[in-house]
Amino acid sequence: MKIVKANAGALTNFEVLDFLNSRGASKDTTRVIAPIARSEYKVYDYLVETAASTQTRESVTKFADKCKDFKVAKAEILNIINLRPSSIVELLPIIETPDHQALLELVKDLLPPLPTTETHEDNAEEETDNGEQL
Amino acid sequence: MFYLSELEHSLRVPPHLLNLPLEDAIKSVLQNVFLDKVLADLGLCVSVYDIKSIEGGFVLPGDGAATYKVRFRIVVFRPFVGEVIAAKFKESDANGLRLTLGFFDDIYVPAPLMPKPNRCEPDPYNKKQMIWVWEYGEPLEDFIIDDSCQIKFRVESISYPSVPTERAEDAKPFAPMVVTGNMDEDGLGPVSWWDSYELIDQEE
Repeated sequence: MKIVKANAGALTNFEVLDFLNSRGASKDTTRVIAPIARSEYKVYDYLVETAASTQTRESVTKFADKCKDFKVAKAEILNIINLRPSSIVELLPIIETPDHQALLELVKDLLPPLPTTETHEDNAEEETDNGEQL
Repeated sequence: MFYLSELEHSLRVPPHLLNLPLEDAIKSVLQNVFLDKVLADLGLCVSVYDIKSIEGGFVLPGDGAATYKVRFRIVVFRPFVGEVIAAKFKESDANGLRLTLGFFDDIYVPAPLMPKPNRCEPDPYNKKQMIWVWEYGEPLEDFIIDDSCQIKFRVESISYPSVPTERAEDAKPFAPMVVTGNMDEDGLGPVSWWDSYELIDQEE
């Protein structure tokens, strides 16, 4: 075996999920029929629970384009797309730019939120003083 | 987190795969060889992405199968230093925390990189485990690290230890790729910590 190019391009979580989906991976019982290895399903199971499951190719490319207005590195854009931060405190560890607020607006505009985080927020409002409940 | 890598490999396509189209046959051989394996300094192979070229098809003397030289791209899991990743809790002891991504289990957060100030106390339900607690706020509040939600960490370093020649009796199973994580920063650690932070922030 020879490594021709160790880094032939980075992939977002969404692209990996999209690739597995295109080969027939799914959450239901048909998964045993699809020609996908067990180790690949482990990756798939991790990815469907991340923000990648609600993203589309358009939203990801549009977001990456818009990010060029801010001074953020490619790796940071990739990290934002993968994690989809919904608050400043989630964004802080990822990037160093001072424009946190503006960038956060952009994330909220372009990347769809996780379906699970929305229900999560509803719960949190009911139990304001009990954040550790979940 | 995921990268494409281009590799070249000479492989033998066994005769029982001859009924498949050549590309499918080669792909299935590649999957057997590479999937779920760690290549040193490259990362954990997740999936064969595509095949770029196939050369050869020689039958070597004394061999009952064709040998091809294939150039292909593969999806590898290789986090970069500084990346923030959401993982799940696996176990914790006095040395620190172990996290899992489901498909990759060798993520360690050592004690010096835990949120400070902290303390470590024995778990009443599990003798082998220790619970880590972050003490923060006025008055001092306890934030417990447990498996209730996702835990975010920043990649501090990645190492590819070489296969040990001698194995100690009580040694841990060998891990070909180890990720060291850092949790000592705002926004890192269990996700639920920062949900409530956000709410307090809005109320003010």
